Amino acid sequence: MTQSLLLILLGGAVLRITTVSSEYLNYVKPGFRFLLIAAGAVVLILGVAGLFKKEDGHRGPGVAWLLTLPVFAIFLIAPPPLGSYAARSEDAPARPAASALTAYTPLTKPVSDMTIGEFLGRAWGDSTQSMAGKQVKLTGFAVPSKKDGQWYVARMQIACCAADAVPLKVAVLGMPAPEEDQWIEVTGTWVPPKEGAPPPGTAAPEMTAVDVTEIPQPVEPYE
Amino acid sequence: MVERLEVPPAEVPPADWGRKGQPSFGPWVFIAVLGLLLLGQFVYAPYLTSPALQTWSTVFVAICVQALPFLVFGVLLSAAITAFVPASFWTRALPKRAALAVPVAGVAGAVLPGCECASVPVASGLISRGVTPAAALAFLLSSPAINPVVIVATVVAFPGQPMMAVARFVASLAVAVLVGWIWLRFGKGEWLQARRHHDHASFAEAMRHDLLHAGGFLVVGGMAAATMNVIVPRQWLNALADNVWVSVLALALLAVILSICSEADAFVAASLTAFSPTARLAFLVVGPMVDLKLIALQAGTFGRRFTVRFVPLTFSLAVLVSVVTGTVLL
Repeated sequence: MTQSLLLILLGGAVLRITTVSSEYLNYVKPGFRFLLIAAGAVVLILGVAGLFKKEDGHRGPGVAWLLTLPVFAIFLIAPPPLGSYAARSEDAPARPAASALTAYTPLTKPVSDMTIGEFLGRAWGDSTQSMAGKQVKLTGFAVPSKKDGQWYVARMQIACCAADAVPLKVAVLGMPAPEEDQWIEVTGTWVPPKEGAPPPGTAAPEMTAVDVTEIPQPVEPYE
Repeated sequence: MVERLEVPPAEVPPADWGRKGQPSFGPWVFIAVLGLLLLGQFVYAPYLTSPALQTWSTVFVAICVQALPFLVFGVLLSAAITAFVPASFWTRALPKRAALAVPVAGVAGAVLPGCECASVPVASGLISRGVTPAAALAFLLSSPAINPVVIVATVVAFPGQPMMAVARFVASLAVAVLVGWIWLRFGKGEWLQARRHHDHASFAEAMRHDLLHAGGFLVVGGMAAATMNVIVPRQWLNALADNVWVSVLALALLAVILSICSEADAFVAASLTAFSPTARLAFLVVGPMVDLKLIALQAGTFGRRFTVRFVPLTFSLAVLVSVVTGTVLL
């Protein structure tokens, strides 16, 4: 009986974060949605079916009680997407996957929207320097820096779930830092590394910002 | 002492006497340790305030949510194997000689497109249907590492380095088969905890039991992995990248700690640019076979006596085979 209720609780929580809200995007890639709905439905059905089964005196495993923990976490804490705490290290951001094979198209628009991953790829892996002198717009959250006169616009990149998240960061110059973790759109120009600067990939690339706009958190918080 | 020896064996209660239905203490002790660990972080590290807890809870929920579909799929498949596939099918499908059945089962792992959470209940279902444990274990180890989804993800994560995916396939299959053979030669049946199903358990009942049981242990593993994920800063690692053996061991241990789904670990490995290809191969080979959530799942499914032998064996073989494969292929 209690074990069936446990399954109903678990299935219900999974269905809630995938159908009623889009909270599941805080934890996994969008592609997981239908897998999660199917799994949640199976768990829920098993639980409901168990309610009608007659008791045979066999108690379920005690360890199953632990399944209440993620359910409590979802309902009580409602864990937010990973933010500046997870991106706080001053190290160079990870080199985004698959950048080596990407051909970079010329930027023709007056201001080009791009992901931070693409910015890192163009800053580090583009021998034609297609980004030099072009205005670009990045979306991310603000992360303070220990270095003077700069802060970071950052976004986490996930391949599967938040446990494998890696921070992507660009150092922003020339504008006052917004509040930590505030979601922003930053418009600015890439600062190509000077002579004698550390090699690409060892420090976050820099941009000089001309505009910083505060925005609400995007529905899909990860890149 | 003397009196005890004189008790006839028939009167000695079975090992599991009086334990029926009670939770075992292992996981609770484990949780207490983790709780103390977390508490210690709050006491000793004042900077670890609520953002740390929120980051922890996000990673914890993410691991549970991400694993659930695969766990449900694995439990469903396992229950289907138990309910609908007659035991005679396996005796026909697998070679009679167990030493041959091990590599066949290892290669068969390539067809189950799931991650490690699915393979544990499936292997348990196979054993309960009379498949040689050594062969089922080879399948358990190989399927999350060499299935098409994982290999394609590895190719995508390492552009221009197709040998990484090849090396991963070769090394993972080799470890799975070697562990299977070693288990066949030295393993004892009593180390494996029998499934506690009633014989009359229905399809839904078997699924319900397995899901609750494995799910509970998945939560234990998720908590451990999330704790490590938050506590261990990755920049510590870069200090270890220079020495060949130390770097291989460091990334092998990182794979155990992070407990990343095998379909995503290649992307993390690709981001560990400070490390040699061999060390990153070790990360990819160890991760799907030994990690915290998997250890918890295996302990729950096969018992502690199995896990304390199986996990060190698999880990050391995975590291050794990775070094050999990396030296030859990468």
